[in-house]
Amino acid sequence: MFQALFTSLLQETTQRSLWLAGPELALTAGIVLLLLGRLLGFDKLIPPHWIALAGAMAAFGLSLAIFYSANSTDPTAADEYFGVYFSGLMTFDKFGALVRLFLLLFLVFVLALTVLSGIPDAEDGPDFYTLLLGAVVGMLLMCSANNLLMVFLGIEMASVPSYAMAGFLKGRKQGSEAALKFVVFGAGAAGVMLYGISLLAGMLGTGDFQEIGLRLTVLFGNADGTLSDPVRAATIRTLLLALVMIFVGFAFKLSIVPFHFWTPDVFQGAPAEVGGFLSVASKAAAFALLTRLVLAIMSAGTASLQDLYLILGIAVGVIAAVTATFGNLAAYSQTNMKRMLAYSTIAHAGYMLMAIAAMMVLQSGRIGGDTSLAERSSHAVEGLLYYLAVYLFMNLGAFSITALIRNEIFSEEIEDYRGLGYQAPVLCVGMGLCLFSLVGLPPLGGFVGKLMIFASLLDAGYVHWSMWVILAIGGLNTVLSLFYYLNVLKTMYLTERPAGATTVTFPAWSSAGLYVMLVTVPIIVLGVHVQLVSNAARRAAEVLFLQ
Amino acid sequence: MDTGTVLRNLLTLAWLLPLAGFVAEIYALQLRWSHRLSKAPAQLAVACIGAGFLCSLSALLYWGNETKWVGFAPVEHHTPAEGLDGGDTAPADALRPDATGGEPASEHHHQTPKFYAGTFYKLAQFGPLEITLDWYIDSLTLVMFTMVTFIATCIHLFAMGYMKDELTEEYEDHQVHLPGGHHFTRPGRFHRFFAFLSLFCFSMLGLVLAGNIFQVFIFWELVGVCSYLLIGFYVERHSASTAANKAFIMNRVGDFGFLIGLMILITSLGTFRFFDVTTADGAEQTGLFSLVRGDDGKLDISDDPSVTKSVVYLRDSHGHRLVDGTTPRTISYLLLIAAGLGVFAGSIGKSAQFPLQTWLPDAMEGPTPVSALVHSATMVAAGVYLAGRFYPMFPPEVLLGIAYIGCITLFVAATIAVVATDIKKVLAYSTISQLGYMMLGIGVGGWAAGLFHLVTHAFFKSLMFLASGSVIAGCHHEQDMRKMGGLRHKMPITAYTMLIGVIAIAGLAIPGVGNALFGQALAFSGYHSKDAIVASALAFSELNRNPLHNILFIVPLVTAGITAFYMFRLWFMTFAGQPQDEHVYEHAHENPAIMTAPLVILSLLAAGCAIGGEDGWLYCLLSFSETVPTVDRFTSERVASIVIPSHLDARDVHGTAGGLALLAAFAGTTVAYLLYCRKVVNPDDIRRQAGGVYDFLVDKWRFDTLYDVAFVRPCHIVASWCQGFDQKVLDVVLHASAAITIVVSKWERTFDEGMVDGLVNLIGNSTTNFGRSLRVVQTGRLRQYVMWIAVGVVVLFAALFTALPK
Repeated sequence: MFQALFTSLLQETTQRSLWLAGPELALTAGIVLLLLGRLLGFDKLIPPHWIALAGAMAAFGLSLAIFYSANSTDPTAADEYFGVYFSGLMTFDKFGALVRLFLLLFLVFVLALTVLSGIPDAEDGPDFYTLLLGAVVGMLLMCSANNLLMVFLGIEMASVPSYAMAGFLKGRKQGSEAALKFVVFGAGAAGVMLYGISLLAGMLGTGDFQEIGLRLTVLFGNADGTLSDPVRAATIRTLLLALVMIFVGFAFKLSIVPFHFWTPDVFQGAPAEVGGFLSVASKAAAFALLTRLVLAIMSAGTASLQDLYLILGIAVGVIAAVTATFGNLAAYSQTNMKRMLAYSTIAHAGYMLMAIAAMMVLQSGRIGGDTSLAERSSHAVEGLLYYLAVYLFMNLGAFSITALIRNEIFSEEIEDYRGLGYQAPVLCVGMGLCLFSLVGLPPLGGFVGKLMIFASLLDAGYVHWSMWVILAIGGLNTVLSLFYYLNVLKTMYLTERPAGATTVTFPAWSSAGLYVMLVTVPIIVLGVHVQLVSNAARRAAEVLFLQ
Repeated sequence: MDTGTVLRNLLTLAWLLPLAGFVAEIYALQLRWSHRLSKAPAQLAVACIGAGFLCSLSALLYWGNETKWVGFAPVEHHTPAEGLDGGDTAPADALRPDATGGEPASEHHHQTPKFYAGTFYKLAQFGPLEITLDWYIDSLTLVMFTMVTFIATCIHLFAMGYMKDELTEEYEDHQVHLPGGHHFTRPGRFHRFFAFLSLFCFSMLGLVLAGNIFQVFIFWELVGVCSYLLIGFYVERHSASTAANKAFIMNRVGDFGFLIGLMILITSLGTFRFFDVTTADGAEQTGLFSLVRGDDGKLDISDDPSVTKSVVYLRDSHGHRLVDGTTPRTISYLLLIAAGLGVFAGSIGKSAQFPLQTWLPDAMEGPTPVSALVHSATMVAAGVYLAGRFYPMFPPEVLLGIAYIGCITLFVAATIAVVATDIKKVLAYSTISQLGYMMLGIGVGGWAAGLFHLVTHAFFKSLMFLASGSVIAGCHHEQDMRKMGGLRHKMPITAYTMLIGVIAIAGLAIPGVGNALFGQALAFSGYHSKDAIVASALAFSELNRNPLHNILFIVPLVTAGITAFYMFRLWFMTFAGQPQDEHVYEHAHENPAIMTAPLVILSLLAAGCAIGGEDGWLYCLLSFSETVPTVDRFTSERVASIVIPSHLDARDVHGTAGGLALLAAFAGTTVAYLLYCRKVVNPDDIRRQAGGVYDFLVDKWRFDTLYDVAFVRPCHIVASWCQGFDQKVLDVVLHASAAITIVVSKWERTFDEGMVDGLVNLIGNSTTNFGRSLRVVQTGRLRQYVMWIAVGVVVLFAALFTALPK
């Protein structure tokens, strides 16, 4: 009996799970090599960034192979291939495959950027890359998590290295202070989330995503849907509290108002490379995980749960609208580029959260019996994925150009960008493309992403009108954001370079110039050739709504 | 490779080479492969367009060879009794599209595909509507390609000499006066001129190659932009920039109609393509021409006599009516007329037809090679080309409209040319008048005649423009004919090549001499093509009982005389007689070979391109492309009684019409000779005698004044109101909202940094006090941050809890 169990476990692990966890293993191998290098002293011979890059490329290649094999496999017939692995702690589907692909592509880009911009220096290289790869392993776990335990584990694994990276520039008071704030805030949020998880798991007796929805249905299935029954009222209150607390953990990762306070300080204190990494990678992973968790909870339900879910959806929508508005308004008066981008990150988290809100509202309608809404809510996830894909390039572009400009003029103040447009055209045109895309102007990718999310909000508005209000606020925010983004371009192009300022020569055909083009050209491609990613995003989103 | 692919590849190469040239030339200085004093950009431009000409010519010859030269020889005209489709080169089955061009040509030209067409690239798809880049090659395309590239090559060469002033670091523009008696100085723009010319060639060729009407529109606008850039080449001159604006804006007026036509087509027919295609899944998408004209080139109109209720049944390429479920697909007859008139409105703008003709004379502000290429030979003829290409879509009522527009234009412009004294203005009005002839020809059913005149006119008019450019360059930018005279002694090549052009446009011929050789009178090209138009007009006015339509014949006949008069007046005033201005005459000189060689080459073609007249190769080639068979008369009784004459009708009256036109031309020439060479009567006396008429003509029929009062000034008034509204109302609102945004965002910041923290300070004051003794690494704010987590959880939970359904 035990023998049989062990054999099957061994078989499953070696034949399937290890292959599916290949990218994580490749990154881990990279980390081990980096640490050994420091220990045995061969980091002087092989620069650590090459080891890190090799690990990242290997992981990316593996995830690409997994992605293609997933897409060439028929989703209905392949019980063997898709589904849970590692004894049900993780799950594998096209959605996870796509987000993992995004993350590892992004990791490769960030590593290339650190090589180009020279942060970190040779002394700190192994430590920095160890932390970076470690954080990404955590994020990869987040994408495939299938258990509340893995939710916590993944988030913490992604967060803890981030804290250290935020304070990475040693000797800078601002950086250390930011890291400390980050740590304390993160610890608080993690504690609250853990409490929420324990409440939920305790109430349901399981942490498995496949089970959560069903058990909730059982728990609430036989009551009449009112709070008059004191036992039920207590249960629903507990459920609500658990969900709110879990949400706080996500809100911290996503820097959702009012859990955003760490963001501006950390982004300003940390190097721009780290800021870019945090603003894109941890958001992508957190959104993927949030989507999974929300769908796990909402996979089934009764009439009373439907009302609860609708309220939760609207609440998330309101929080999203507040976040977007707050981020945009606060960005308006910033003078530091990184701090402005931090608030812009908050605003964009708000936009993306709107997709989640739309999905929740549509799902609550689906629980109510309108099965046609499944396709619509899969469109919301498709929009979210597309937005993440574009966001990867446009935000990384903005941060990396900030870093490259910093290397030239040793400043990150917007004021010091005056007249730069004519001295470093590649950087400034690239920055222009990123910012226009962040605003959401056609024909750039940001426009398509926003359009998809707003279309989902429009759909969700037929279930509950409040989504149309959120849509209107989202549209208004796009207008608001125009001012502060264009202010940067105005400074770059419409003001003279002050006398005595450093003269910048930035050749287009250098490796840094090519890097800028490599990052910014996809923004245009994604805006023009939408099918390139939207087909993959649609397939990835559809599998989440199969049952 | 099959014929279609070969032709496509050759013409695509010819089309894209100038674009490559443009990119290289416009960045000549930035890319540092050339410098401001170098002729390299011009040489590159000539190489591109010259290679384009070779490609086009080889395409034409290849096509001729592949089709056993059926298109080059006249077709025996059978009597109608022998059968309906017996006598035409356009039998029904040849109308079938041949995107693959698979059918080999055999001796029976019945099997020669009439055109080759296909798709380059799909730009976008909106529901059933596809926006594509197509190509459509028939003999008309081939002739236009060869003609455009050839003339463009000549003009590029000429411009290398004409624009050499620009090869300098400091070009002094003598026509721009700065305060203090100085002239404006700027770096030369030689490379930019040739870049614009190359861009224009690309756009023009794209227009000709286009396989759908939307694509035509794209390139239509592109040539408009090039025209704008080239007219405003001396942008510092106020007159030039104004003229460029005027040209562009007047064209927009016409394009508005064009757009309306496009919208009608897309809503009622659902496609922009000219030709039919078979999609990948085997379904057939019928193109515009087949939809409206079916397989036999006829409109399938319902029997309803009322025009508002008449509909045209849409058919596929086999002549079967298309059905949508059980109801047949139709388009209202009135809508078809509206679409035709709309598209023709575009032609009116581009070809400077009445009432949008006033921009073309002003466009002469551009350098003379531009006037020769853009504003006489090619771009302005694009309107005629479009009317010809879109001919199958025009019901007879639209054709009548085209004929009348052409008729009015040709007369108005010719009368103004009589009194013009600027040498380029005379040619400009002459161009408008000749374009009117072409439109008239197309309108009265002489499809091939109109396009025939397009090609011949391109040759002799570009020749005359270049000759006038040569005069202007030789006389140091003097354009007033009253200061010239006797120049044939100073610049003989220019003078005599110009004379060939003048004879060609006047339509002079020596009857009888050439008959033995060519079966036609010995004459230069203009005689043959104008003859064909006048003959069609006569046939039209004879067939239609309405006496009003007689003016469609009489006016062009009279104008033929006027044409001869003003053209010879120009030649006599410039080249014959005594020098009028010693200063000009003294400094006049013949130009270098690079400028005179194109003149000689063009004069040969101006003289000989139409050899053989309506049995010659050029006319036959053009009529081979006829999409609507003109064997039968076509009658419409719906709006007005209109009979479109057949080929045979025009042939029958050819002798009469030709004779009368020749008579008119000789009369005009004689009067010009007597007045301006012999000085039998002093022209000034006539001017004084007919003062009112003279002033009226000098004021260009007061069109500019009329438009100024009717459109420009009301526009200015409305604009000033709008500006007032903008400044007094909108700006205030905008500034207020901007100010509010700033205030709110500042408040937000204060809220974020002050209020939020302050509130927490207030709430957590006791905690802070308590913790003060423990302060080691703490700054008050961090604790507040963590506090917010707790506050956030509590507030969120409380808010949601109250919202729970009770």
